[in-house]
Parts: sequence; structure tokens; C-alpha cells
Amino acid sequence: MPDTLTRERRCELLAAAEHDEIVPLAERLLTEGAFPRPTVVKPPEVGMVVLQVREPVEETRFYLGEVLVTECSVEVDGVPGWCMREGDDRVAALAGALLDAVAAAGLPARTDIDSLCAAIAERRAAEDAAEWADVTATTVNFEELT
Amino acid sequence: MGYAGVRGGQEAIVAAERLVAEARFGGGSGWLELGQITERLSAAVDRVMGEGGLWAPELAARAFRQAQGDVLEAAQLLRAHRSTLPRLGYGLPVGTRDLRAVRRISPAVRQPPGGQLLGRTTDYTPRVLDLTPDEQLRTQRPARSGRGAATASPRTHDAIEPDAALRAEGLLADRRVTTDPDPYDITRAPARPGAPRSARLSAMARAETGSLTHLWYMCSRAPRHDGPEIPLELRRGRLPLRVRHPHTGRPVVVAAARVTEARTVRPTGRPRTDGTRFDTGYGLCFGENEPKALAMAGLDLLVHRDPHTDRLEQKVLIALDGPEASGFLEHLKLPHYVDFRSTMERVQAVRAAAGGAR
Repeated sequence: MPDTLTRERRCELLAAAEHDEIVPLAERLLTEGAFPRPTVVKPPEVGMVVLQVREPVEETRFYLGEVLVTECSVEVDGVPGWCMREGDDRVAALAGALLDAVAAAGLPARTDIDSLCAAIAERRAAEDAAEWADVTATTVNFEELT
Repeated sequence: MGYAGVRGGQEAIVAAERLVAEARFGGGSGWLELGQITERLSAAVDRVMGEGGLWAPELAARAFRQAQGDVLEAAQLLRAHRSTLPRLGYGLPVGTRDLRAVRRISPAVRQPPGGQLLGRTTDYTPRVLDLTPDEQLRTQRPARSGRGAATASPRTHDAIEPDAALRAEGLLADRRVTTDPDPYDITRAPARPGAPRSARLSAMARAETGSLTHLWYMCSRAPRHDGPEIPLELRRGRLPLRVRHPHTGRPVVVAAARVTEARTVRPTGRPRTDGTRFDTGYGLCFGENEPKALAMAGLDLLVHRDPHTDRLEQKVLIALDGPEASGFLEHLKLPHYVDFRSTMERVQAVRAAAGGAR
């Protein structure tokens, strides 16, 4: 089966998925026995990642602050799966790691996972286009009074 | 000075906490949902996250609700919660080009490359209290007629460097460095004067907005700062959090934070007498907080030019942190009986030595 998504792109889309998009799919695949019994390598952990910025004046780095994330690592059929996503939703992070591992293992269920990823990508593109349309409507060309 | 250890008063303290709980959970109005706070009171939530140093909208909303609308107290709650969380890693460096802008204006140039996008703002409308009856407001929905075509021009603004024209003409002091020092981590070691600029930027990014604005106002109005300060650009948008994938080693975006970014310029001056170029200041903070980003950029520039007059660098590094300042202030409410007795005895002794009352 050809892999249509890079692993990083799939990770990004699973990280951007809503809880109600990602968790039901993982539960369904688990219930249907679509993949062997997974091993939780690192249970979902809520923590922080430093947001590091390269500022434009000296082009040096500084720490803007931290972002709340949840990270989880699993293994399916000997293949590692990983998920890190914004917020403190442990169940969604576990689901994301499972789906990442199943897709990386090239199991047949990858089709379902990539369909979900395609839907998420489409939704995000539509949101982005709508936002950009709203923003471009505020394009201004001031005239100077002389 | 410190507060004295005291014993007793448990019943009174419990009763006092009960009164707080009544204010939080009692009354006749409906329960304040977290979604209402993050959606309708986003400016307050953004301030809490900025001053708390943690991007976590739901936790910030929770803190804001618990603090009954007190932003400083909410920032303190979030900061305290933050200290209980593990640091899982460091994001890969991101910059202005990674910022997906939803607002981009230039107070300095009428037609900057890429044009100006006002975005969501009330900058050009009168600030008038809306006295529309609540029944009407409750059913009001925003008009969508102003929306442009969804297939409008691609996002080209994000990659535009606002100072490119000045730099090309040689009008910008070139402060770019060739080394890449690790940033100073103000959460691990307190920053003191002489600390690298990265410490200053971090300190201001999580400074209390009012304090930062006030310090900028005092300094920028001082007559010694020759030449006007004019922001080159102000942007709002989303900055990605990019980490290295643990299994492939390649970058992957796992989250995004809304930020406000400002760049400001002044003709070069103190401490060097050179008005032939511009100096730049940079401001960046969590959330939609334009006063904070602008004040940060202005102070970044002023500290670069003259850190010692009025101990400006020291003030920027030490005096702007909300939880620190308010924590010290709040502790004054605790019992200081021993301190006061000792001070009283000293005053009485001095008075007696001076010959009693005059």
C-alpha cells in the first residue's frame, strides 16, 4: 500500500485533530482488532515545551514562554508510535500515538487513518481560507491628506 | 522584614474561605463556562497566559474564573501550576516568517510591501460604551457581508521583512551576530543586570502588561531620548510550536500559539552621537496584546541604547514581573507583629534619646 502522507505530516494532522475525531477512530480500530495488542511505552504525560524564537534584530534566540502539551509513546507490532498535542487531553494523545504506530506499521487500517487525516487537512484548509478571506477584506490603502 | 508565625484562627480562616466560595459559586446567575471565557473574554485570557508564561487557554480561563476576574491573581495561579509541570523539551527556533499573520499594520510606512491588513481591530472606531439593551445584544449576530473571496490572494505577507527597505539603504544599524548563544532561561535563574538580551526579552514577554506600559511611558516621554519612536510594524498571528520527531528526527508542528509582534525604530542616538541610522527594538508576547508588544519593543530599544540611566535595565529585568510584585505586596497583609513591635521599640528609643516629644 503506498504511503501518501509523510510521517511528520500525519503527526501534525493527528495533533490538530479534535478529540471527537481521533478518539472514536482509535477505539473502533481497537475494538475491531485491526492491530495487534499495543504496548504503552510512555503513558500520556502532560507537560510543557519551550517556545523558542529567533528574533530578527540580532538574530539570536530567546524563550518566549512554554506551551502546555501532552505526549505519549506506544508500540504496535514492534513499530513505535508517538503523539504530542496541545493541551492536556491524555486520551486524545494516546489515540494519536496508536494511530501513528498503526499507520507507520503499514497495517490495512492505515487507509482509515489517512482518510481521517485528509478530512482534518480539508477542514483546516477551509478554516484557513475563510480566515484569510475575512482578513483580506480589511486590506487598507490610506490616503495622505496634503 | 518578614511576617510572623502565628497560631490559631482556623475557624475564622475557614469562615473567610466560605465567604469566598459563596462569591464564586453562589448568587443567582448561571455558571460561567470555560468556553464563554476563552471566547468572549479572550483579552483577559491572553493576558493571564502571557504573564503566567504558559500558553494554555483552558487553564488560563480556569484561573481567571477562580480569581473572579483578577488577571494578576489568575497569572499567579497559572504560574504556580506551571511550576508543577515537567518540561518535556524545547521547540525548534521559529521566527517572524513562521508567523501566520491575521493583522499587519505599519504606522511608519503608508504602503509597505504586501500592503496593510487591519485585521480585527477597533483602532479606527470611537470607543463608546455600548448601551444596547441586553435582549438585543443576546440575539445579535455578526454580519458576514464584508468577507472577501475565499480564493483571495495567497498569504504572501508572512515572509515579508518589514525592515528590509531600511536595511537595503544602509539606514539600519546592523546588530546581527554570527554566534548562536543558548538563550538565558529566566525560569531557572533570576536575571540580573548584565544578563544577555535573551533574558530581557523573556522577562518582558511575561511582564505584567500595566507595569510594562507604565515603564515605557515614563521612559519614552523623557526629554533625553532624542528622535521620535515610530513602530515599523505590528503583527498578530499564530506561531507554530515545532519539535523534532523522536523517530525520524525531522521537524513536526504539534501546537500553535497566538502572538503579537512589534518592531519599532528610533534614529540612533545615546550613548553614541550618531543620527545617521535607525536602531530597532523588538517585542513579542503571547496572545493578542498590542500595548504589551509595542511597549516591549520600545523598552528593548531603550535598554540597548542606554541601560544604566535611571537603572532602566535593572527595572526591566526585576520590577516588571506581576506575580513577584503582587506577591510581595500581598504578603504585607499577613501578620507582621514582631516586625512592628521591634520597629516601635526602636522609634520609642530614638524618641527617648532625642529628649521625648517635641
